[in-house]
Amino acid sequence: MTERSIPLAIKLPVVVTVFMAVVAAFVSERVLVRLEETQARHLGDLATVYLDGLSSALASPVVREDVWETFDILDRARQTNAGLKPVLTVVANTAGRVIASSDPKAVPSWSELPSRFLHQGAATPAIEPRDQESEAVARVDLSTGGQVVGSIHAVFDTAPLLAERRSVLITLIGTNLALTSVLAGVAFLVVRRMMRPVGVLAGHLQAGADRGVEPIPASVIERALKEFKRLYASYNDMAVAVREREEWSQRMAEDERLASLGRLASGMAHEINNPLGGLFNALDTLRQHGERSDVRAKTLDLIERGLRGIRDVVRAALVTYRADEAPRLLHREDVDDLRLLVAPEIRRKDIALAWTNGAYAPLPLGASPVRQVLLNLLLNACEATRFGGEIRFSADVDEGQFVAVVDDDGPGPPDRLRSILESQANFVPRERGLGLLIVQRLLTDLGGSATVHPSPSGGTLIRVVVPLPSEVLADVA
Amino acid sequence: MAQLQTVLEVAPRSAGSPKRGLAPRGEARNLGHLYGREGRLFDKVDRRQVLAWTAAAVLGGSSQARSASSELRFGLTPVFLTSDLELLARLKAYLEKSTGFPVRLITRRTYQEITALLLSGQIDAAWICGFPYVVYRPQLALVAVPVWQGKPLYRSYLITGRDRPANSIDDLRGDVHAFSDPDSNSGWLVTATALARRNQAPDTFFSQSIYTWGHRNVIRAVASGLAQSGSVDGYVYEVMRETDADLVGQTRVVARSDLLGFPPVACAASSAREPRTAALQSALVGMRDTDQGRAVLSMLRLDAFSIEPPSLFDGIAQEVAVVRGAAG
Repeated sequence: MTERSIPLAIKLPVVVTVFMAVVAAFVSERVLVRLEETQARHLGDLATVYLDGLSSALASPVVREDVWETFDILDRARQTNAGLKPVLTVVANTAGRVIASSDPKAVPSWSELPSRFLHQGAATPAIEPRDQESEAVARVDLSTGGQVVGSIHAVFDTAPLLAERRSVLITLIGTNLALTSVLAGVAFLVVRRMMRPVGVLAGHLQAGADRGVEPIPASVIERALKEFKRLYASYNDMAVAVREREEWSQRMAEDERLASLGRLASGMAHEINNPLGGLFNALDTLRQHGERSDVRAKTLDLIERGLRGIRDVVRAALVTYRADEAPRLLHREDVDDLRLLVAPEIRRKDIALAWTNGAYAPLPLGASPVRQVLLNLLLNACEATRFGGEIRFSADVDEGQFVAVVDDDGPGPPDRLRSILESQANFVPRERGLGLLIVQRLLTDLGGSATVHPSPSGGTLIRVVVPLPSEVLADVA
Repeated sequence: MAQLQTVLEVAPRSAGSPKRGLAPRGEARNLGHLYGREGRLFDKVDRRQVLAWTAAAVLGGSSQARSASSELRFGLTPVFLTSDLELLARLKAYLEKSTGFPVRLITRRTYQEITALLLSGQIDAAWICGFPYVVYRPQLALVAVPVWQGKPLYRSYLITGRDRPANSIDDLRGDVHAFSDPDSNSGWLVTATALARRNQAPDTFFSQSIYTWGHRNVIRAVASGLAQSGSVDGYVYEVMRETDADLVGQTRVVARSDLLGFPPVACAASSAREPRTAALQSALVGMRDTDQGRAVLSMLRLDAFSIEPPSLFDGIAQEVAVVRGAAG
């Protein structure tokens, strides 16, 4: 979880830093160990050369216990010794008494050999580093003719060696720190630069969900790396395709609306044409037998019913399609009128329509949008239902909501139906939607919703729920 | 200015007026007997010397002829600094030019070695110390004496560490004391005499005596702390005060002796009259008259070489007597 929440632009530099720190620690440790070994060898060589050089010159003066000559040799050796200097050299006899030292004030002749020197005999030069005191103490025995006659002791100042080691350590730490931070910084910049196109892409995809897909501008593509240019191009192809499809879908929706209007108009024409034939017949009857009062009354009644039927159809169509009409209450008759509008389709396909309309008072809902929603759903159901099938319609008020159910026994709800009707987003259908888009938009405006269920008969059951405004609920109840 | 650091102690001739030059061989032998009475050592050396002369006499003029034809051998004691090759080269060049002889400069570690070479006739002349000159005065003749600060005289200094509050030799009791050479006047005899006058001897007065075989080494020993005090040639000390101020600065002078005869150039009394000796004498005396000679003198910080009477060294002879008396 934590791992996922750290951005790559931070994670990679951290990995680089940790890696560099491990490498630096390892390398530094090796360098220092080798340096210490080299210094110890160097110091050992130096001490050996120094003490061996002195021992050949000192054997004779030590046998004679010649203080001056011993001092003279030590003093000259000190003067000529460059580089790593012995800070103190002492020559002692076998009894552990100093014959002479290079610093007689600190270690006078004939005093006891100070305890800081090595008291263990050493036929070959022995050296003991003492880093705490920044010095190394060396000893070699002086012998002539196989007989030990005394010993030479030297103290070397190892402070320069320790300082060198310290300075190497500081240099290592400094260099590694600088290198690590530079590499971490470079890693940060590189990763951020590499991730920038991904961010651009992510931003466009996110914006696409909200405001529609926008192609990435050419200026951004031009600056991008080769791989991302390809990615951007693919994205833009996709964006163009999506746009085209969107436009096409809108056109399709419009076509669909026109198509359903056409279907309705043809149904209406049929609905008007039927009584018209009767009306003309009635007119002929009146012309020929108008003087007969019984025929006249019967014929006029027939004409009146025919005209009333035409009036009802026209009124229903007017109510349904006059969008500029002022909103008015939804009467239960408005719902019943829909039977007239779908009657031509019902008859055409010989469908049995089971119609249930509750006894509710006029509802404070826009009659026009509700009727259009229900009409479209009913027409849709007619479309889905086979010849001789059945459609069940019911409408009523239930718990402060207007609830209508359209239940057909067609082949069952296609997936797209649910995705269109139940979608909250501004969804664009891929296929021909039979006015479903209009349904969805109108319902959104009304604050209502539609849910799609499989019907018990194997067809599709669509349940439309439109909540009633709360202030009128009391009256309705 | 290390070139200054060579003092040449040359055996002088024995008796007679300096103006008259070098004493004859017979006279020298007589003087040797005369001075030989002063101590056993003298008798011994004298006997050895007599043997050498006897041998020379037996071999006749041949050895003399050979030495006459060969180079001038000039001995230098390592009182000062023996390693200044430039000074040695200039001195050699000057002497060769002035005397007309090829010159060989001979240096040894101790006074004793140079004195023995001189007494045995293996070198023609040597710059020695007043002490061996006095001791072997019968066998030696003065050739010339250096003049320093206008006089053929110098002093011996008692020195100690810079920060030590000592005002006389009495404050130095129990020290580790650095002497230059047991045959040096300023580096041993003067201090031994002062102690003898107090009925003391170096071995008992000092906790330990160190011989450093050079006046410069005495200063080094005292400066380093190896010795708490030392006996040193005042001329060397003063010259080094100029040339080696750091080293000399670590010491201070406790006491200065009376003026004594400057270490002379001497030759064997037997060869005092030889042309080579005379040539050497005139070369030394005439040193301040030529540029080349003045350059050598300037390196040595000396004014000139002059011919002085043996009585110049009577002061040292008195010291010898005091020490001998105390020892006896």
